[in-house]
Amino acid sequence: MNYPVWQLDAFGGGLWIVLIAVFHVYLSHFAVGGGLFLVLAERKAQRENDPAMLDYVRAHARFFLLLTMVAGSITGVGIWFIMSLLNPSATSILVHTFVFAWASEWVFFLIEIVALFLYYATFGRMESGRHQVLGWIYFGAAWMSLALINGVIGFMLTPGDWPKDASFWSGFFNPSFWPSLFFRTFLALIIAGLFGLTTAAWLKDARLRIVMIRFCARWLLLPFVFFVASAAWYRAALPAELQEMIFARMPSMRLYVNGFLLCSPVLVVAGLLLIFRLPVGLARALAIALLLIGQLYIGCFEFIREGGRRPYIIREVMYSTSILKRDTDRVRQEGVLSSAKWVRHREITDANRLAAGRELYNLLCLACHAVGGPMRDIKQLTAPFTPSGLDAMISGMEVFYPAMPPFAGTPEERAALALYVAQGLNGRSDPAPVALVEKKVGIPAFDPAASPFVLLAWSPQSMRSVAEVKGVLSLLPPGNSLRAQLIKRGETPEIVNQGVALSYRFAGDGGAGKPAISGEMTAEEDVFVADNIPLRPGVGQVADPYPTAIIEARDESDALLAETTVVAPVSAEIGCSGCHGGAGQGDRPGLYRETALHILRVHDRLSGTALLAEAQGGATVRCQSCHADALVKAQGDPARLNLSAAIHGFHANYLRGKGAEACGFCHPSSNTVVARCLRDIHAAVGMDCVNCHGAVEDHALGLLQQERRAGKGQAAALMAHLRPRSAGGLEEVAPRQPWINQPDCLHCHVDFQAPETDTVVNARTSDEQGLYRNRTDDSGRLFCAACHSGAHAVYPADNPSGAQLDVLQPLQYQGNRLPLGANRNCAVCHTVAMADEMHHANSLRAFRNE
Amino acid sequence: MDPAALIPIPDAIPVAWGWLQFFLLLTFFLHIVLMNAMLGAAFIALVTHLRGNHASPYTAAVAGNLPFAVAFTVNFGVAPLLFVQVLYGQFIYVSSILMAVFWLSIIALLISAYALAYVYKYQYARLGNGRLAVAGLITLLLLIVAFLFASNLSLMQDPARWSRYFDRPQGVLLNLADPMLLPRYLHFMVSSVAVGGLAMALFFDRKHRKGDPSASPWVKQGCRWFAHATLLNVAVGLWFLVALPKGVLTVSTIAGLLLTASLAGGILLAAPAVVFGLAGRVIAATWCALGAIALMILARGLLRAALLAPWFSLSQLSVRASYSSFILFLFFLAAGLALIVWMVRFTLRSCAAREARP
Repeated sequence: MNYPVWQLDAFGGGLWIVLIAVFHVYLSHFAVGGGLFLVLAERKAQRENDPAMLDYVRAHARFFLLLTMVAGSITGVGIWFIMSLLNPSATSILVHTFVFAWASEWVFFLIEIVALFLYYATFGRMESGRHQVLGWIYFGAAWMSLALINGVIGFMLTPGDWPKDASFWSGFFNPSFWPSLFFRTFLALIIAGLFGLTTAAWLKDARLRIVMIRFCARWLLLPFVFFVASAAWYRAALPAELQEMIFARMPSMRLYVNGFLLCSPVLVVAGLLLIFRLPVGLARALAIALLLIGQLYIGCFEFIREGGRRPYIIREVMYSTSILKRDTDRVRQEGVLSSAKWVRHREITDANRLAAGRELYNLLCLACHAVGGPMRDIKQLTAPFTPSGLDAMISGMEVFYPAMPPFAGTPEERAALALYVAQGLNGRSDPAPVALVEKKVGIPAFDPAASPFVLLAWSPQSMRSVAEVKGVLSLLPPGNSLRAQLIKRGETPEIVNQGVALSYRFAGDGGAGKPAISGEMTAEEDVFVADNIPLRPGVGQVADPYPTAIIEARDESDALLAETTVVAPVSAEIGCSGCHGGAGQGDRPGLYRETALHILRVHDRLSGTALLAEAQGGATVRCQSCHADALVKAQGDPARLNLSAAIHGFHANYLRGKGAEACGFCHPSSNTVVARCLRDIHAAVGMDCVNCHGAVEDHALGLLQQERRAGKGQAAALMAHLRPRSAGGLEEVAPRQPWINQPDCLHCHVDFQAPETDTVVNARTSDEQGLYRNRTDDSGRLFCAACHSGAHAVYPADNPSGAQLDVLQPLQYQGNRLPLGANRNCAVCHTVAMADEMHHANSLRAFRNE
Repeated sequence: MDPAALIPIPDAIPVAWGWLQFFLLLTFFLHIVLMNAMLGAAFIALVTHLRGNHASPYTAAVAGNLPFAVAFTVNFGVAPLLFVQVLYGQFIYVSSILMAVFWLSIIALLISAYALAYVYKYQYARLGNGRLAVAGLITLLLLIVAFLFASNLSLMQDPARWSRYFDRPQGVLLNLADPMLLPRYLHFMVSSVAVGGLAMALFFDRKHRKGDPSASPWVKQGCRWFAHATLLNVAVGLWFLVALPKGVLTVSTIAGLLLTASLAGGILLAAPAVVFGLAGRVIAATWCALGAIALMILARGLLRAALLAPWFSLSQLSVRASYSSFILFLFFLAAGLALIVWMVRFTLRSCAAREARP
């Protein structure tokens, strides 16, 4: 916020500090442990009266001096340099708080330098016991310098009470100070042994070599138990959520935790091996290998410590973005580009959007993410995302990736950042608005004076989504439904359900040269039903979401009694590819093969499953095998969330604060797809998904509330970051089962009257029989949808792909677009006008919304 | 862009700024003296080699002791770097970032120079004529490091030029347009030659007092290096003086008065220093030199305050008192210095005792 950012690309993400620091810590721990090693080795040589051993100690002291003075100390200065280059704000806090700890450490450095020079220069020039005093002073000073820097490093991870009391002592003697000090001390002894091995293995005198190798092996083995104990102590000293994050949740930590756990027994076993008399070549090879393993070992530990601190640079105080935790709300209000000092583009305009995006990237992302380099390369991590998808991801990234900070800027800044990364770096764009091709359908004849029957047909779903990739993933298998009622016209019409056979036949072939999809409808009590019709629209560039079927009613002698046309809407334009990739240039949203593989990969990473392997083995992963789904009547695993709760509960965290455009990320309701969910009178008066279904947060919370009350722990975890937009608090959110508890017409059209509100709040149908698609009129026999059509496409519906498509029957039977019988047109079935309002209240009147 | 808008907000300091400034000036003074001796020794050794003399006792002495000089120079450089971050962090972090690539390269350059110093020491006998290359490389590396330090300090005091960052944010800016940069840098470098000569004189003077007959021509040579370099440095210093911005050297404010007085004092001390040098009076010359350097470093600090005055003064820093940690440091400092003194004496005693016993 305060400081300019050193703009790096491939070297970004902290690569410099990794290179310098990991090297330095290895040498500096050697500088501490090696001091004790020298003194004890010299004492051993003195006690055993072994001049050859003393010569070895002297040679090792020279090696020690050269390595720690030249490489060790200057790389320590290097850490200072690089930390103020990469995060000056945090460095400033540390320096201003702990200046006198560092100044004290400097005193000990001075003592170390003098002691080490004197120690080395006076080998053989003073009595050994006195000589060792110099060595002890060196070790003491080195250990003190370790203790002092340990306080500062520990503060960054566990600041203890410092955020409240700003006291030097609270910050220095923080919760991880003592365990970390013991941990590092024992590690220093182990490392001293590793370096000692290297010099010992090169001794020419075989007797001495064996003796010294065994001596070094003790340095590996004896501290190990204490080292492991202090590691456990260190871990236990961390706050619980930090332990959980590092050891259970963060996928990127697993590599380093496993590395650390793997190296430990390797070092112990090597130490044990070295006790035996090994051939000199093997001993030397082993020594070098162990030296390298030691570097990896401490590297893994430092990665865990540094990585586990994310998203903070100083936990609970300052994020890695240099934004103070307490400033986050203010910055979010004012904007990053307004709050930061070193910004060129304070306002975002069309002309500077990408450049402003780069500035935002520098301020908010570069600290951890390289551009085209090895440290968490942002280009690779965001490759699947479109700009809108990435914007959504950033808005919720901290929910499922606790190592990420919450986005600190305004929504406009977030969009500019997403555009810079997705488009500027990865060349991806949002899909363009699609040009719709008009579809016309032939309408069968009807003679209002003479035709004996009215055949009504509808699709209970206004849009059936299909999302399947054969051999990989099945989220929603195909399965459209059709319903029909045959009415014999007359003053008292009859619903004909005997002696007739209804069949359907779709136009065109069934795809890939298969025969056209057709079939018989099953007669149920008053209605004819056809379910599980396997309509499968294309994906990519071609899609017809409105396949049209001709329904024919024939009597027992196969004479045609009536026919009508009806659309069975189906779409594969599900929006997964916006975030999960897989779509090519110019492709519309959908579930492609790469999309499905990516989804499985993410699911495995976040939920600990092994679905990708399953799919790569040839099986199709069906979501419903674990997640119950009433739509396809799948039981799933009762311990897991149902599919709707899981998928909405998860994704809602990325879609917070949006209106109906949140729905459009996945469902075909935006102008980037051909299919449209909402096509009816409600859309025409300006309503959208949110009016009836609520914002996505409310939608998800309702589903999760049901699962939470059923005792499923995952529901509470997903609810934790969602705030209801309409209901008062979390407890007021009404629980609902998917597909069963739905918003209903009568929630606004109370008693079939004109609505006084256009928004449904927390009201749901109580059971399946109460759903619109299953309800009938006051007679109990005529389905609501027979006259009004399916939900989301109720008459008068205006299909953007063809004006007729959703009003085929009103056009056929009435020559208009209105519900059957509207405008007192009872004659469509009754052949004459009617005086009684029989079907439902308020139906015998002029249609209100012509 | 208004430079004031770019200057980051400083954090609170734990004790009154006077304490920090005191330690900054003290440790920086020690660092500069050591740095001058180190760089000067390397430079004079290089010139000695260039003159064809590859086997002089002087270059052998430099080879033997240069690594110690580097170690202490670096150690005493760390301390003022710490204190300058506390007092002027909002300036020096910015300038460091603006020249980040160059700044960070100091680490590599310094490791190389330090390693080469050990090569020079331990391979001295074997190098033969190669000593010239090694000494030359060490000198070159240290000269570059010094220039980068001078550049950072120049940029740190020049917020008016900071907005160049927006055209080049990759950390590759230097401040070559600053008219003070080159004279400042050369002033320190020529001073190094002078102090290097003084160090040579002192080293061989000690040998001479211990009875080494071959030492005294080297004392004279060291004194000559010192005197001639100091004379040259007066000229370089006048160049620096002329390059100062208008209004900095004034007697109308207390700060200006102090600056003018310390500068004048430093310049005036150059005269007896040169005189003593030419006369071969090493100890007297040393005191004058140290006095001059001390006053110049005080002047440098006051100059910094003057250059930053349009935007900042140390009294603006808020204090969040933590005197207990300061007391801790003072305790460690006193104890540490006492321990070092004891260690040196203990070593000398123990070595003498060992030599006494056959």
